[in-house]
Amino acid sequence: MDQVAVPPAHDVVEAGHETPATGMGVSNTKLAMWLFLSSDCLFFGAFISAYLFYSGRSQPGPHPLDVYNIPFTSVTSFILLMSSLTMVLALAAIMRGDYRRLRVWLLATALFGATFIGGQVFEFTEFYRQGLSLDKNLFGSTFFVLTGLHGAHVTAGIIWLVSLWGLAVQGRLTSRDSERVEIAGLYWHFVDVVWIVIFTVVYLIPK
Amino acid sequence: MADEGANPAGTATEQRDPENAASADEQPGTAIERAEAAPPARAEPQLPMLPGEVRPHPTPQRYVMIAAILVVATAAEVGLYYLEGDVPDGLIIAFLLMFAVIKFVLVASWYMHLRTDKPIFRRFFVLGVVAAISLYLIVLTMLHVFSG
Repeated sequence: MDQVAVPPAHDVVEAGHETPATGMGVSNTKLAMWLFLSSDCLFFGAFISAYLFYSGRSQPGPHPLDVYNIPFTSVTSFILLMSSLTMVLALAAIMRGDYRRLRVWLLATALFGATFIGGQVFEFTEFYRQGLSLDKNLFGSTFFVLTGLHGAHVTAGIIWLVSLWGLAVQGRLTSRDSERVEIAGLYWHFVDVVWIVIFTVVYLIPK
Repeated sequence: MADEGANPAGTATEQRDPENAASADEQPGTAIERAEAAPPARAEPQLPMLPGEVRPHPTPQRYVMIAAILVVATAAEVGLYYLEGDVPDGLIIAFLLMFAVIKFVLVASWYMHLRTDKPIFRRFFVLGVVAAISLYLIVLTMLHVFSG
């Protein structure tokens, strides 16, 4: 019986890619995303450094120990970590051509992200009620700017994920577009690793 | 989660070549002996590769395992926070930073696929991370942030 020649797995995925490769043999978009993430390290580093520089210099309260709710922030951190898992499962699903799971994991990632942002909004509101605002003291200024910028990154990621989910629902996101999901995932995982640093440096390290 | 669905592309790679099949039948020993001598069957089907990758991505099971490690590390971090006062602050800070580095490296290497991508991506990212850490450590040290 004649056997139909089936291309290897990696060829199946690569065949659909129309992203122009660089001279280094890697796609332009992926390389650009890594360069952006590399520069974003310096961006977040500046705000984390500003927080550390002004830490403990606020004369009028409230101070970090007065307002932080570590159990609550731990739960939101856990949720953001889990969103990285669902993101990577979405990528695995699209690479396998499993579009039902792709939609489920993309939506789950966006929902986890939205839950994290909801938690951050709740936290900011609580802090404000306890007298901490952007212009109250140095702690308030550096804390709100740093965590707010991170929240803005997460929000941008949610919008990106929801748009990908919309395309997946319409059937316009196929295995040929695996790299689009991967690049969105790179961004999403980056905001996760930035939060890993912020959670440790800003919330957990003794003041 | 474990069964992420069938992998049609993956099974394609596992199609038996008729020539190899024929030569396998000609090998000495019984079928059981040959099966025992053969390398163990791969338990985890490999995902296909994207451009710019040198190795296949990990399997979903491996991703879940990494997530479990991340959860345990986060729980340990939070537990350390509640040891403040009982344990020297320097020790707590050292352990907290260690857990943060472990989590950072796990996410970057497994979830962001720096382990399986071409080294050029890793070099760019490490360059940014090292530049940021070096630059701000120098600035903060000059501003006597760590001395007081």
